Amino acid sequence: MLKILIPTLFLIPTTWLTPQKWLWPTVMTQSMMIALISLTWLNNSSESGWTTMNSLIATDPLSTPLLVLSCWLLPLLVLASQNHLSSEPSSRQKTFLSLLSLLQVFIIMAFSATEMIMFYVMFEATLIPTLLVITRWGNQAERLNAGIYFLFYTLVGSLPLLVALLMLQNCTGTLSLLVLHYSQPVTMAPMSSKIWWVACMGAFLVKMPLYGAHLWLPKAHVEAPVAGSMVLAAVLLKLGGYGMMRLMVVLAPTSKEMAYPFIIMALWGVVMTGSTCLRQTDLKSLIAYSSVGHMGLVVAGILIQTPWGLTGALILMIAHGLTSSALFCLANTNYERTHTRTMLLARGLQTALPLMTAWWFIASLANLALPPLPNLMGELMIISSLFNWSPWTLLLTGVGTLITASYSLYMFLMTQRGPLPKHMMALPPSFTREHLLMALHLLPLMLIILKPAILWGCFP
Amino acid sequence: MLSRLTRLGPTLPRILANSGLRFVSQSPPSASAGSATLSELQPPHAKDSDGHGEVNHYLKNPDYHGFSADPEVDQWNMRLAFFFGISMTLVVGGTFVNYLPDHGMREWARREAERLIKLREAKGLTLIEEDYYDPSKIVLPAAVEE
Repeated sequence: MLKILIPTLFLIPTTWLTPQKWLWPTVMTQSMMIALISLTWLNNSSESGWTTMNSLIATDPLSTPLLVLSCWLLPLLVLASQNHLSSEPSSRQKTFLSLLSLLQVFIIMAFSATEMIMFYVMFEATLIPTLLVITRWGNQAERLNAGIYFLFYTLVGSLPLLVALLMLQNCTGTLSLLVLHYSQPVTMAPMSSKIWWVACMGAFLVKMPLYGAHLWLPKAHVEAPVAGSMVLAAVLLKLGGYGMMRLMVVLAPTSKEMAYPFIIMALWGVVMTGSTCLRQTDLKSLIAYSSVGHMGLVVAGILIQTPWGLTGALILMIAHGLTSSALFCLANTNYERTHTRTMLLARGLQTALPLMTAWWFIASLANLALPPLPNLMGELMIISSLFNWSPWTLLLTGVGTLITASYSLYMFLMTQRGPLPKHMMALPPSFTREHLLMALHLLPLMLIILKPAILWGCFP
Repeated sequence: MLSRLTRLGPTLPRILANSGLRFVSQSPPSASAGSATLSELQPPHAKDSDGHGEVNHYLKNPDYHGFSADPEVDQWNMRLAFFFGISMTLVVGGTFVNYLPDHGMREWARREAERLIKLREAKGLTLIEEDYYDPSKIVLPAAVEE
């Protein structure tokens, strides 16, 4: 674990001590080497499931795919931000990279924490660098409002979580994930157990987000710079899912009845946010709402608490992380050229940038869950386990899948096909860096098809 | 009609907000028509920020890869990104992941099941017994009146 944490932490001195000329190649190379070493985590060969252990930090087949995803994402953040930060003063560039590295340290410690309070502290700690990135490097005035929504939605959800965790510590004597499975269920009055369930789950449901508490997400994703959007969509949402999966073991049997309204809310969210996507004019807003929809399916899969549901949720989280981040990178390539996110103004780009259209096509296909990509595998497992729970959910999930396909296709057709607007005269061609960035997002997604066993988690 | 778009306030993209700027060429008459169109796409402050508006990097460096204005750094950055990203992480890392041991003995379980099915079908036995324990060996206590 230290062979990943120490180099990540020392990315901060690297950024400050490297001469400006070699700053970006150095940071990118170091973060890629860290990503390479992080692949060793996938070797989970222990009987108990927990590997890489010391008293504070361990990994198991649930956290390993998420950790590898976040380690892989850091070099991609560096690649994506290189161009739009190149005109900024050196100290601002270095501050930006330091914030991303610090965020990465918190994320790694959050996913590998063995104790729930450490997970909670790291979960909250990730808010600060993200808030700074959104409010200081965002492009429009709305970024301040977006930062406030982002911060306070999560904080309001997580204060009850702190109280609930402290109460759990009081009752069971430990909050270590290694033994929490074996503790006695906490006995309390029915009403208080319901309130405790909501307190435990509230923070993660806001973070996922569950439809209904999702208003912070379109704002934060749209106003953030590309690196902020990427890390938000790919990793920070998954912190919520991971927290839910870890904490639900202590919440049985209250979950049987309490999960019901939230599953329905999540599935309704899939349909509603999908419909909202069909009406969006802002490209990044469309991708943000699509994230809410996909995460709604993940929420439903986790709340179902069956092996297939949980496995499907984990697969969908990883696949969505790569896909959503890829779409935000594509939106940024548009934005850097046209300085607008309005789809009506930046359309027909296949005529001007045909190679990028190929990436748009693959990313849109991944978003609409084309087989044999893992997006479909995750969705199918969740839909099957939901059908097993109640056949009526098929109505919502079926309509949701249909609408997802519609808006993904709509996004592709709007941005790529149709007439190129007459004011688009001098668009620079797609750079090698942008093609590489897209390849590094979508090639791992395709490679996962060949070895899905790394994503099955500890469940089947 | 374009002026009605101002009701969108700050959410209006800058390119539409400068509607007055759009259709009037601001470049001096000697400048080429191409650059006038390019400058309309920039935010208004870009012209003033030390000329750091939209720079066409291909003029100075025809082999521009998108990384840096300095050609040497640009080329090295490209090489490092491709080497560590594709050759090391995807190829070497992918090979490592491919050859990971059989986690949870799942692949073994599948192979063992297929082997047993083949064996039992050849012998004509049922594939799996309905009772896990042999019923003749289970000793139940006599029914006691409570």
